[in-house]
Amino acid sequence: MFKNYIKIAWRNLWKNKGFTILNSIGLSIAFGVAIVLSMTAFFELSYDDFHEEGDSIYQVYAKWQIPEGSDIQTSQPMPLAIALKDEVPGVQRISRYLDGKTLLIYNEKELTADMSWVDPDFFELFSFPIEKGNDNPVNDKNALAITNSMANRTFGSTDVIGKTINLLINGKKEPFTIATVLKDIPDNSSMEFEILGNFKSSPRYKRLKDQWDHSNHIVYVQLQDEISVPQFEKSTQSFANLHFKENIEDTKRDGASPNENGQYLQLKLHPFKDLYFTNSKLGNLVVSRALPYIVLGIAFLLLFIACVNFINMSIAKSNTRLQEIGMRKTLGGTKKHVFLQFWCESILIFIATLGFGILLSILFLDEFKTLFNTGATFNNTVSFLSIIVFALVFFLITGVAGGYPALLLSKLGTLQALKGKIQINGRDKVRDILMITQFAIVILLVSGSFVLWGQLQYMRTKDLGYNKEYVMSLPLNGKKDGNKAIKLLREELKDQSDIISITASDNNLGRGKDGSRYSSSLGFDYKNRQVSTNMLIVDYDYIKTLDIKLLSGRSFDRSFASDSLSVIINEAMVKELEETDPIGKQLAVINDSIRHTVVGVIKNFNFEKLDRAIEPMSLFMSNQKNVRYAYFKISNADISTTVDKIEKVWKSLEPNAEFMGSFLDENIDRTLRREKTMITIITSGSVIAIILSCIGLLAISLLVVNKRTKEIGVRKVVGASVTSLILLLAKDFVKLVVIAFVLIVPIAWWYSDRWLQEYSYRMELSIWFFLAAGILALGIALATISFGTIRAALQNPVKSLRTE
Amino acid sequence: MLLQLNKVSKWVQSGGQKVYLLKNIDLWVHEGDFISIMGPSGSGKSTLLNVIGMLDSFDEGEYTFLEDPVHTLKEKHRSNLYKQYIGFVFQSYHLIDELTVKENLEMPLLYKKYGGSERKALVADMLDRFNIVGKKDLFPAQLSGGQQQLVGIARALIANPKLILADEPTGNLNSKQGEEIMEIFSGLNKEGVTIIQVTHSEKNTSYGSRIINLLDGGIV
Repeated sequence: MFKNYIKIAWRNLWKNKGFTILNSIGLSIAFGVAIVLSMTAFFELSYDDFHEEGDSIYQVYAKWQIPEGSDIQTSQPMPLAIALKDEVPGVQRISRYLDGKTLLIYNEKELTADMSWVDPDFFELFSFPIEKGNDNPVNDKNALAITNSMANRTFGSTDVIGKTINLLINGKKEPFTIATVLKDIPDNSSMEFEILGNFKSSPRYKRLKDQWDHSNHIVYVQLQDEISVPQFEKSTQSFANLHFKENIEDTKRDGASPNENGQYLQLKLHPFKDLYFTNSKLGNLVVSRALPYIVLGIAFLLLFIACVNFINMSIAKSNTRLQEIGMRKTLGGTKKHVFLQFWCESILIFIATLGFGILLSILFLDEFKTLFNTGATFNNTVSFLSIIVFALVFFLITGVAGGYPALLLSKLGTLQALKGKIQINGRDKVRDILMITQFAIVILLVSGSFVLWGQLQYMRTKDLGYNKEYVMSLPLNGKKDGNKAIKLLREELKDQSDIISITASDNNLGRGKDGSRYSSSLGFDYKNRQVSTNMLIVDYDYIKTLDIKLLSGRSFDRSFASDSLSVIINEAMVKELEETDPIGKQLAVINDSIRHTVVGVIKNFNFEKLDRAIEPMSLFMSNQKNVRYAYFKISNADISTTVDKIEKVWKSLEPNAEFMGSFLDENIDRTLRREKTMITIITSGSVIAIILSCIGLLAISLLVVNKRTKEIGVRKVVGASVTSLILLLAKDFVKLVVIAFVLIVPIAWWYSDRWLQEYSYRMELSIWFFLAAGILALGIALATISFGTIRAALQNPVKSLRTE
Repeated sequence: MLLQLNKVSKWVQSGGQKVYLLKNIDLWVHEGDFISIMGPSGSGKSTLLNVIGMLDSFDEGEYTFLEDPVHTLKEKHRSNLYKQYIGFVFQSYHLIDELTVKENLEMPLLYKKYGGSERKALVADMLDRFNIVGKKDLFPAQLSGGQQQLVGIARALIANPKLILADEPTGNLNSKQGEEIMEIFSGLNKEGVTIIQVTHSEKNTSYGSRIINLLDGGIV
């Protein structure tokens, strides 16, 4: 019996080759894409889930009351962790975590290592797998743990236990012993490092270990079993009041109002598992797993479209098989038999296309990974659970998409089927609803990619307040300290006419090739008020090099010796100070005895990402701290030669350091990575959705045209023109697109609007994005159906009538 | 007595009026009968045949098939009944295009859960009996109309039914092919198979033992 089903299924598929191919292509693509998309999503969602104790680890953060509301601080002062464990009951394990780059020296080799400093509890909190050696290396102050690949890079082997290397700490070489080799950090870890060392050996430990007013690292904690998080948070209150007394006094004086518990500072715990998905927004930590779920959603929508195609085609094609159904029933086949037969056929197609889909996903995984910027591979996503989920989804799809048409057909009456008269109730209605949903999905995805694209363009082309086209920034990542390096660079390059000016600062604009980004802000008292500002250390010519507009006063100038105590502020800072004429005012930024004089006011420029409003900013001279980035303004004559020149000079100054110079507009682009990934995902999603819907639409339109051949013939005989016939046939489909458009636009609008709210600088949402998407969908639909309709309309009516 | 119809009527509602398709039909069929149903188009010949074959329902009256009251039976029992005792032959053959001759013959046996070897034997018998062994691997489209109808009859006979219902079996055939088919029916009848045929042709009725004339749903 089953063999008979397979046989007839195969012959039927073969007979309707066109439809079979359309159907299979659509389903294969949908399966393939759904597989890779859900792999990405599951990979993202699996971040940090390999730590055995992960569910009970928390990050400590401070929630400060400030006059404007509240503020989140995740970095902590050095004495906090120890004090917390000693003074507040309930701490099981606690570890500080300080991240940074360190120069590693082994024999003649110099390498920049991604280094993290942690406390001994770290290895009990987190489950980074150990390859060999001591299972808690950081117990010893001079012991290190090194990852497998870093060991290979440094020593050329992993047989390195007991070997000694030097780390450059505070400008001095210090010896350390390798105690442990770690397996490489899993791809889905948010913590990344190459070497782990004891926190007490970290560069600034000695200086800062008792300082409560300097925060620079993260604290992870695990509570004792019987202690709940709210309980613990409550019991830290007196602890916080004691140790942060001064800061609390300051914030009180500035007019901050206490929180609901009467506290100005509340230490809180944030689940480690959520950390990868956390953003701080308006004084709150927001956990959002939206992106992986959007990706999953798109996978689901694509599968849905393909299934709709399948259902519609199966039902429409069943016309040709009515007699067979009738005959089978007269020969003794029951409902069950017919249902099973047609269902088997569907399952056959589904299994075959699933095979193709898996093949496709394997073939295109590499392209996909670069395109979507994900670390997902089959190795790290295929697990027992994911296979079960996948199988369930597959059976659900075959059950619904294969079962529904089979059910309809099995319910047909024997005689009607034999005579070829079909009355499947509500059949066309279901088809219409399915097609409306399909178009709605297409319009949703297309308008989504238009909106994303619009916002990206807006951010790219927005005037940021500085010159981003012709300025290159270069990370000073060598052995020499920054101020010395920039001095040498200036000397070497001063005669070059194509380098218009050179400057330096301690922070990059955008995200450079070194990937580093940080912000430094500080608060101080001004006229008995607490004010806060971002802080930037700059060299001479900063304003000139970056073409930042000077509104009043002057830039730093070599002819003023006093400029080491001068400061230039931006408009936002003027507002923060509440001064109408700030030039000449004195700011006690560092402490009360050192006063900086405001010498200039510059126009606001976007020194942070565009999802943030421009904050107050103060520029200080570079004699106070080392600069870390050099900036070159280059004439636009022959850019690549100029860059080569700079690279050559840099190589001669720092032979061991990599040249990582990049233009600021590239840096800006790099900060838009999240948006770009999202655009790639949604755009490719919509392209595939369009292709799939076209396939379905083509098939349906051909069948509709076939069914109406006689009607077309009759109309033509009584004098209908070709145009009116095409319109007649297109009308039904146009109606569906319009309904879909009307239904989906409010949803698309609402969602786009919500997404745009995340950006302080955003384009105006206009109806044109959606109209364009709708028109595109309509155009594509019309083009698709025109294949069948035009031919039918042009046909000689005698021929079409004779076929009846 | 093989079957008996007692005052069977069937109607449809059209514009608030009952339109009778069958009206007070009384009919009895004995085993071994060869009955021809005649009448103009729309007189209800095919409807009557479908009612007898239990493919169609009726609104009034009683129908007894081998002592079973068909009008009170559930759908499932009814289908078991016709599966077991009735074979159908159609004007347009209704062979399944995607199956070969052999497979078409085999299909009714599949639904009746015959074993594999038994199926093979029965199919081989039929092919032999109708002299179409050479065509067993051809598809219906590769056969002439007469040959297709031959396969149709073979398929109807394969499960050894008591009654064959034939709806204008020669309607799509030329006269020579038609004669051959009728000869076959006549031969089957002599072997004891009960046959009811719907026909337009006076000539075909001459093969039968009884003629029933229908007009506007009633027997005249």
